[in-house]
Amino acid sequence: MGASTLLLTGNIDTVAAMSCNPAIGGQAKGHIVREIDALGGEMAINADVTGIQFRLLNESKGLAVQAPRVQSDKKAYQYRMKHTLELQENLQLFQATVTGLNFKDGRVTGVRTNLDIEFAGTTVVVTTGTFLRALMHIGKNKNEGGRMGDFTAKTLSASFEEVGIELERLKTGTPPRLLGRSLDFTKMKEQRGDEHPTRFAFHETRQDSALFHVEQSGEERLGWEPGTNQVSCWMTYTTPETAEIVNQNLTKSPMYSGEIQSTGPRYCPSIEDKFVRFADKPRHLLFLEPEGRSTNEYYINGLSTSLPFDVQMAMVRSIPGLERAELLRPAYAVEYDFAPPTQLFPSLESKKAENLFFAGQINGTSGYEEAAAQGLVAGVNAVNKARGNEPMIIGRHEAYIGVLIDDLVTKGTKEPYRMFTSRAEHRLLFNHGSAENRLLHHAATHGLIKTERLERMQAKVAQTTNWIEWIESKRPGGEQGTYGDHFRRMSQGKGAPPAMPEDYLKLPTETRQEIEYRVTYRGYLEREQRQVEKLKDIEKVKIPVGLDYSKIKGLRNESATKLAETAPFSLGQASRISGVNPSDISILLIYIESHRRAASKSD
Amino acid sequence: MSHSVDTIAAPATPAGTSAIAVVRVSGPLCRDIATSVFADALEPRVASHQPYRDVTGNEIDDVLVTFFAGPRSYTGEDVLEISTHGNPVITQLVLNDLFKRECRAAEAGEFTRRAFLNGQIDLSQAEAVMDLIHARSARAVAAANQQLQGSLGRHLTRLTDDLLLGLARVEAYIDFPEEDLPDEDRRVVQDLLSNVLRGTERLLATHRYGELLRDGIKTVILGEPNAGKSSLLNALVGRERALVSNQPGTTRDYLEETVMVGPHCLRLIDTAGLNPEPGEVERLGIEKTIERLREADLVLLVLDATHPAPALPAEVSAELNSTTTLVVLNKGDLLGQKSPETIGPDGFDSIQISALTHDGMTELDQRIIALADNFSPSDSSDQIAVNARHAEALRHATQALESAGQHLANRGPTELLAADLRGTLDAFGEIGGRIENEAMLDRLFETFCIGK
Repeated sequence: MGASTLLLTGNIDTVAAMSCNPAIGGQAKGHIVREIDALGGEMAINADVTGIQFRLLNESKGLAVQAPRVQSDKKAYQYRMKHTLELQENLQLFQATVTGLNFKDGRVTGVRTNLDIEFAGTTVVVTTGTFLRALMHIGKNKNEGGRMGDFTAKTLSASFEEVGIELERLKTGTPPRLLGRSLDFTKMKEQRGDEHPTRFAFHETRQDSALFHVEQSGEERLGWEPGTNQVSCWMTYTTPETAEIVNQNLTKSPMYSGEIQSTGPRYCPSIEDKFVRFADKPRHLLFLEPEGRSTNEYYINGLSTSLPFDVQMAMVRSIPGLERAELLRPAYAVEYDFAPPTQLFPSLESKKAENLFFAGQINGTSGYEEAAAQGLVAGVNAVNKARGNEPMIIGRHEAYIGVLIDDLVTKGTKEPYRMFTSRAEHRLLFNHGSAENRLLHHAATHGLIKTERLERMQAKVAQTTNWIEWIESKRPGGEQGTYGDHFRRMSQGKGAPPAMPEDYLKLPTETRQEIEYRVTYRGYLEREQRQVEKLKDIEKVKIPVGLDYSKIKGLRNESATKLAETAPFSLGQASRISGVNPSDISILLIYIESHRRAASKSD
Repeated sequence: MSHSVDTIAAPATPAGTSAIAVVRVSGPLCRDIATSVFADALEPRVASHQPYRDVTGNEIDDVLVTFFAGPRSYTGEDVLEISTHGNPVITQLVLNDLFKRECRAAEAGEFTRRAFLNGQIDLSQAEAVMDLIHARSARAVAAANQQLQGSLGRHLTRLTDDLLLGLARVEAYIDFPEEDLPDEDRRVVQDLLSNVLRGTERLLATHRYGELLRDGIKTVILGEPNAGKSSLLNALVGRERALVSNQPGTTRDYLEETVMVGPHCLRLIDTAGLNPEPGEVERLGIEKTIERLREADLVLLVLDATHPAPALPAEVSAELNSTTTLVVLNKGDLLGQKSPETIGPDGFDSIQISALTHDGMTELDQRIIALADNFSPSDSSDQIAVNARHAEALRHATQALESAGQHLANRGPTELLAADLRGTLDAFGEIGGRIENEAMLDRLFETFCIGK
């Protein structure tokens, strides 16, 4: 987009530091990374070229619910991203801690820093992660900071409260890190990567030089050919002894002693939670994940806890293979401020202060991918706002990113929000390989992608459409059904794949995969597409900002109150607010339409 | 606004209160429907009289149908107006058939909304249109709530619970492939889903209002011999009313007729005369009568107004309830100016008629309608719309569940199985209100230990 941008961070070296496990992707998250790639984000390439283990999840299931996941070299991931930022044109990188925001007439005008340097900006994007008034817990021990070894942003919260932005607390946790050479891997089960890595970045629409080669814009960057020299993860289980240690020390856990009141994620419970809530489950699976190639540090996935350090040690050493484990860093829980995201427009701009945008954990989400998606949308819209352009709003019928943001701004969240494929009503349309096809128009409208790749993306979409038409209308010589019928029969285990023309076989693999997916699942996909079409009309109707719902005749009071609270952006968003019924939407539609007509008459 | 993509249908007149009921259809499917339902081609804006054939080819009714080509129509879209005989059963059958042809039940005020958005209604009327939608919706919501408070709501809650559990068990294996979940046991899902399917089918079949519409309100005519039960039945049936069906009592030992009284469909059941001092054979008759009474929705207790009423057998009076029983004092023509010799049991409403001269029959209709209104709400066009929508949703649920069952049986793709289960959930949501994904996630995290 070419906007002049300043990136302020408390520590430049920890840009893109993975605070939790060293992995990108997985179910729904992997889909999001590919969507980010389709919108010109950096995450996909960065994860690909620093990947040390690649796995395609749900390979035995259908394409819609398959998702790539990669273990990345934690430091390589972080440093390559830092390098990319340094090389980015129009981007100025600077190290300082933001201590407060400056406002004028309900608008943000810039930031203040700990160095007493102030910066002015037309728009400001806030991404505080877990650092806002952050407090870490290990048993009774408490340390201020958003990540072990890092600082906390203490004074910034006051700036939000100054303009009426409400803050609440959330909690998350992370497991201990172990020294690899103190572990006995012979007692664990190996998990290897896929021989043929599934990458996040779309490579068929890019020049090789723009992709996995370490050369970009003539600069050498950290990274390697994806899939080369992969490393393994290791699986082990807790024992009855682990359970006993945990159960006997429950009162020492700040979660159970009442020390921590804030809500943690249900899908990422601490080990004490697992033993308490699923007492009949004899053992819990743990993964030992290498943090990188140039370190002997291991992440123990599944053992998040806030128990005291001595209990952690005993617990770890009750696990097969970890009897002599040395802990490099303890597990801890962290509590932090977040701003309930119903205070945002779908552009991620604050409703309370103009030109102020929020992204990531401050919006109550969890996960690198969810954060990156919001960062991208908030960034694009901060530029759009500064230039007086329309915001980029990705619909929940278009992408997981759309579902994510719509859920956040419409319903808010009570726990750190993570994406699941089940959150998408139209999951079957969201197979990861179709991200470019789905988001092409946004990338084009907002200038997120270089012309050359955009043209290739357009060509790919056209090819896909044309071939599907061909497959559904032509019949193989002397046969009854179309090629499409053949593919569908084949998916039910009947018959062999039809012999396809040479031209088709020359198509890039991912394009063919996409075409065959559309053909094979046609019935279901068309049904979902029809549902999407029906909803599109009301998605297009924008609700004027500041609409006084109490003045709309015929609207039920209960609905008027809910609408006023959420202040939806579009009629589509309004229809998803619980308690607002279809007749309210009809009334609202007519109100908006009659005002629009009246206005256009007087023009 | 662009033209709508879907076609909507709904009753356009309050059903049952007039001789004619109009069903209105609007949207792109109208032309297709016109050609597939009606044998003769329709000329725009010209009413034509022809049979309505449903998807299976059966004639539902002789109707008057008019096609309006958009934009010269009420909504500005293609519109069909189908006038049937003013019988709610026919209206319901026509609506059901239109839904099978991919129409959707119109939301309250949706025709007017479309008319407005397509510029058919002037800007100055916007407020009036909003008021109208508000009023229609309030009535529709009341009608829907009335149904949900009954057994429909209770059953639906239970079915939804089972469905959510089943879905959670499927979704867990899609969204958490890396978790240490127990081996996927589809039998549990299978069992849950068979329960849900059975329950949904039963709901569809026994759905109270549907039953009343299909079978009529069971109305038992009771009384001593020669009080005029049969004359009353003949009087109710014999006048100018649409006769829905005539089941001769060949296989039964009682006479049964179905008639329309106002908006209500009544199944009249005649019983053997009650002798105050029954003999051996008559005892048997009384037992049968008691059986009928137990199934009855309404009771017409016929007494001879010219002499004091004999006492009813105790076991019979025990079955009578003053809220569902009307005492009909017959033979009013023989009384002249005199007062009736009896007014029936204490606490029961009564009315004087003459089944012979038809005196008082109009008043009797009103009293029957008032009693029957307790079973089905008085504003029956709202109720029919709601009812048709519910039945349609239950049918969609059934179809989706059957498709899910096939995926389970063939070990088909999990995500398609999930898609069908979500389709079922959406269909349930059409009846009882949208079911959020959060409800499924709650079950999922309760059932499985998720989180590495």
